[in-house]
Amino acid sequence: MSLPDWTGDVVRYMLEEGLRNTLKIAAISLVGSFVIGVTLGTLLTIRFLPLRALIRLYIEVWRGLPILVTLFIVYFALPAVTLSLRFEALTAAAISLILWGSAQVAEATRGAVQSIPREQHEAAAALGFGWVGRHAFVIMPQALRRLLPPLVSLLVNIIQNTTIAQIIGVNEVLESGERSVERLTAPPPIGLGEIHSFEIYAFVMVIFFVISFPLTRLAAYLEKRLV
Amino acid sequence: MTTLLALGFLSDLWSFVEENFDELLAALKRTLWVSAIAIAGAFVIGVVLGAARAHRVPVINQLAAVYVEVIRNTPILVQIFFLFYGLPQIGIRLEAFTVAWLSVMIWGGAFNTENFRAGFEAVPSRLREAGFALGFGGIGTFLNVTLPIGGRIALPSSINTYISVVKNTSLMYVISYPELTTTVLQIQALTLETVEAFTVLALTYLIIVWTMSAAIRLLESHLALPEAFK
Repeated sequence: MSLPDWTGDVVRYMLEEGLRNTLKIAAISLVGSFVIGVTLGTLLTIRFLPLRALIRLYIEVWRGLPILVTLFIVYFALPAVTLSLRFEALTAAAISLILWGSAQVAEATRGAVQSIPREQHEAAAALGFGWVGRHAFVIMPQALRRLLPPLVSLLVNIIQNTTIAQIIGVNEVLESGERSVERLTAPPPIGLGEIHSFEIYAFVMVIFFVISFPLTRLAAYLEKRLV
Repeated sequence: MTTLLALGFLSDLWSFVEENFDELLAALKRTLWVSAIAIAGAFVIGVVLGAARAHRVPVINQLAAVYVEVIRNTPILVQIFFLFYGLPQIGIRLEAFTVAWLSVMIWGGAFNTENFRAGFEAVPSRLREAGFALGFGGIGTFLNVTLPIGGRIALPSSINTYISVVKNTSLMYVISYPELTTTVLQIQALTLETVEAFTVLALTYLIIVWTMSAAIRLLESHLALPEAFK
């Protein structure tokens, strides 16, 4: 049994155009979420009430909102406030995912930093480290070990949530699938006049499964090994 | 000055709500109704399949594992696309409302299966042995021992799943089901009151989500297991 003729082009288009954009959004969002989240989470362990209240609010708002609503705020509402906050669709999607992802990382980091015994802080202080040095060279290396499993889970969630970019027209995997469905539906010579939405959306699910499944296994394995 | 601006913005928000009150209320009701159906379904799926996973019921255990892995490792947005735009090709046409509750129910059920499996597995085996010693059969022990104790252990994580279910109903925007997000975007497109529209939308979700997470904290202290059961 061989695959019908149309599959080759569609698969190539979805992997070369769609998957590339999906991975691009995911990579930007992961790095952004990590940097901002670890910083905010570490600052959250300082006993300075106004700062803590602010970071708390940031975490609760971006964790509480559906990511789609965050995306609409970034993509539609911010430019309405001031034109300087107008972003390209792909950037807007990455910003929304970073707001959400950094809130998740911040919460996890707070837990990881606080799980490091107080003696480690005291020993580092006795060696002459200031607050920054203490956290950068003594606390963080230990906390990062505990952060690894939640970070891998976060990566899976980010990869899956990149699909919301489809809603504002970014050509990621889901959008490239939808465009393929539409092209094939069009009458010849443009398309085939055939509907192939079932196979194509099933293929989109397969792509995500192939990427996510090993990562969720890895997260579960790390959880067992490192905790 | 800033106080005046803030007051002005608040009155803008209020007039936005007032002018579109009926539509917003109907939309909120749809969001809550779809969520309620999905949460009830996800609860049943979670308890039944979670029990099958925890007690290694042959066949159901393996099927449930496949179901959980497929749903957890594919984006819910793609699942919605598949149900609404993919299934008609093989002759299954579902209404937007059906896809709305069905998709979040299937999604929540998969996560809940894991929540309840973990909860049931955390029940110490000596408690179940005590159930058997009292003459309960397998099902009796499950209903009287494993479910009440394991269910409490699973409660916080399952409510977190329900919160995500409510949030995910916003994705029904892609199938034009007129729940909260879709409706607010339609109003925004007509009135161009962009900032007001999205502020009201965001605040509504935050109120629902924050209320639900407050419920977790309340229930956690209220339903905490006594020392003897740990």
